[in-house]
Amino acid sequence: MTDTTKQPANARIEPSKQGYWAGVARDGNKMGFWFVLPTLLLLLFIVIFPLLMQLYLSVTWWTPLEGIPWYRAWEVFSWGENYWFQLTDPRVWGALWRTILIMIIAVPAQFFLGMALAYLFMDNFPGRKVFYSIMLTPMMIVPAVVGLMFFLLFQGTGPVNAHLGLPSTFSWLTDVNRAMISVIIADVWQWTPLMFLILLAGMLGVPSDQLLAARLLGGSNWQNFLKIILPRMKAVIIIALVLRAVECFKIFDLIFIMTKGGPGVQTETISLFLYKQTFGEFEWSYVAAIGLTILFVLSLIAAKGLAYMAKKNG
Amino acid sequence: MSSIQINSVTKRFGDFTAVDDLSLDIQEGEFVALLGPSGCGKTTTMNMIAGLEDTSEGSILFDGQDLSKTRIQDRNIGFVFQNYAIFTHLSVYKNLSYGLEVKKISKSEVDRRVRAMADRMSITHRLDQPASSLSVNEMQKLAIGRSAIVEPRIFLLDEPLSNLDAGFRAYMRAELKVLQHEFGQTMIYVTHDQIEAMSLADKIAIIDQGKLMQYGSPLDIYNSPDNRFVANFIGSPRMNLIDGEIREETSQLKLMVRGGAEIPLQGQVKSDFTSDGRVHSGSFGIRPQDIYFGDKRSTKDIEMHGTVEVLERVGPKRIVHLQVLETSFIAFDDQDQLKLGDEVPFFMPPDKSMAFDVVSGRRLGVV
Repeated sequence: MTDTTKQPANARIEPSKQGYWAGVARDGNKMGFWFVLPTLLLLLFIVIFPLLMQLYLSVTWWTPLEGIPWYRAWEVFSWGENYWFQLTDPRVWGALWRTILIMIIAVPAQFFLGMALAYLFMDNFPGRKVFYSIMLTPMMIVPAVVGLMFFLLFQGTGPVNAHLGLPSTFSWLTDVNRAMISVIIADVWQWTPLMFLILLAGMLGVPSDQLLAARLLGGSNWQNFLKIILPRMKAVIIIALVLRAVECFKIFDLIFIMTKGGPGVQTETISLFLYKQTFGEFEWSYVAAIGLTILFVLSLIAAKGLAYMAKKNG
Repeated sequence: MSSIQINSVTKRFGDFTAVDDLSLDIQEGEFVALLGPSGCGKTTTMNMIAGLEDTSEGSILFDGQDLSKTRIQDRNIGFVFQNYAIFTHLSVYKNLSYGLEVKKISKSEVDRRVRAMADRMSITHRLDQPASSLSVNEMQKLAIGRSAIVEPRIFLLDEPLSNLDAGFRAYMRAELKVLQHEFGQTMIYVTHDQIEAMSLADKIAIIDQGKLMQYGSPLDIYNSPDNRFVANFIGSPRMNLIDGEIREETSQLKLMVRGGAEIPLQGQVKSDFTSDGRVHSGSFGIRPQDIYFGDKRSTKDIEMHGTVEVLERVGPKRIVHLQVLETSFIAFDDQDQLKLGDEVPFFMPPDKSMAFDVVSGRRLGVV
């Protein structure tokens, strides 16, 4: 006991006397750096290297078909022609437009359906738990399987036509307009449950006594929904919409199984277009350029959006 | 403003009967407290009045009119929740205006009434601030103001003061009384605090295990409890309730207490109670402040002797615990004349004492 009072505890670790490692141990930053280095290198390899490689390829005419290894792609250097070409490529714009079309129809549809369902599930009706589980099954199914399901449903001789009393010549997936509708229906069917799940969680977070108070004050259900429930769900709604919008932009499996982007390019989205360019045309440098452009544009939008939200929240 | 008739209302949750055949008649403009221990059914009763719960049996009439088929939002009932249920995402102003805006009242009228109410509740300086920034005390005022602004037909308050600190609770008690006068509102107030009920209410309904035990003015309930539960529940410190057997010996009724003490009964029990010749368990009750020391004031007063076991100081008085054989009485020693261990005589005026049937809890005769 007397020892510790006479001699301060830190006097024992004098760096000059204890050598280098004691110094490292005391210097958190240096030691930390060594510990983190392997992970940093791995991250660099996983993220930065492919990105740089993509950037490199995107400014060449390189394709795997010509037998030149990728690191010698500079031999077919193209300056920025891929970037210029994509801006004037109607297939890129078409695919982009169709992707956005699916997004602006399917995501709001999922949102409104999900919101309505969530509102229904606020009530404690008999069988609520069973219905809840049933409601959530579509989103548990692998998207490719959902694609197959709807592929079969929308066949000319399939159940949809049979139920609607339509002739087997009435085609969904091979029709210029109805193919898109079929795809959107499938996407809405699969992803409304996720929207419902998130929105219900947000809605149940609204204090029930406040809702009761609003009713007792004479507010109708609709007024209370608009003035009490919705404002309180703002954060949840933004999360749900962003999540679904981002996912929807990447839509691939459903369409690949149902229509392969057809008829023609009627349901060809950006993902499908890139897939076809990659494994159909083998124009890897072109795909690299488009991929980078999309990444750049989306990052810009995301950054702007985040800055806007940060500003709004003070 | 409405009168309310509650006619033999019963509420069951599965096998559990929360409210059992309860009837109350509440006059227009009356302030009624529903008082009882936790879980006695007072909040359920309140919820049924508000329409938040259906009744299993019986009816509730507002000015003779049954509102059970009317939707909650159309009933025009003011309700102050225990935790206030303030809309914390809105401003104080929007909280106050909510009940008016949903009724499509003109903006200028809403503004006028909101400002008047804010002024009345002295929260004007807070109007533009978010309601979540208010202190508990201000939330309380806002909750009352928000309900009062729509001029409801009745006003229901569910333990509104239980979250407040002691000082503000006393202030708010007085304030509520003033408000009730000002609004002239029929108010129903749920509480488990007898001081709140006593000081605020015109009438108190004491409820235990879903049953109405007594309904009357605070003084009535205090001075002449209908049954043992009310006698025991109201008053602090509690009424002395001494259980024993009522026997008739030489034409004198006596309460024989375990341990040997005997309390002579004079008129607290109607004689027909014991006329069947059986032994009856009874309970003798007297409030601590009705027991006195010193000289006997009347020859009728019951005289007993006890040992001073405990003395507790409560302000200027002392609470004294008197041991009589195995029985203990509580009394007030207001002149600081007693010492621990003293054996002293004490007196109980028969007209201040009462007797109850232990089995049914009902009061035996009226003195």
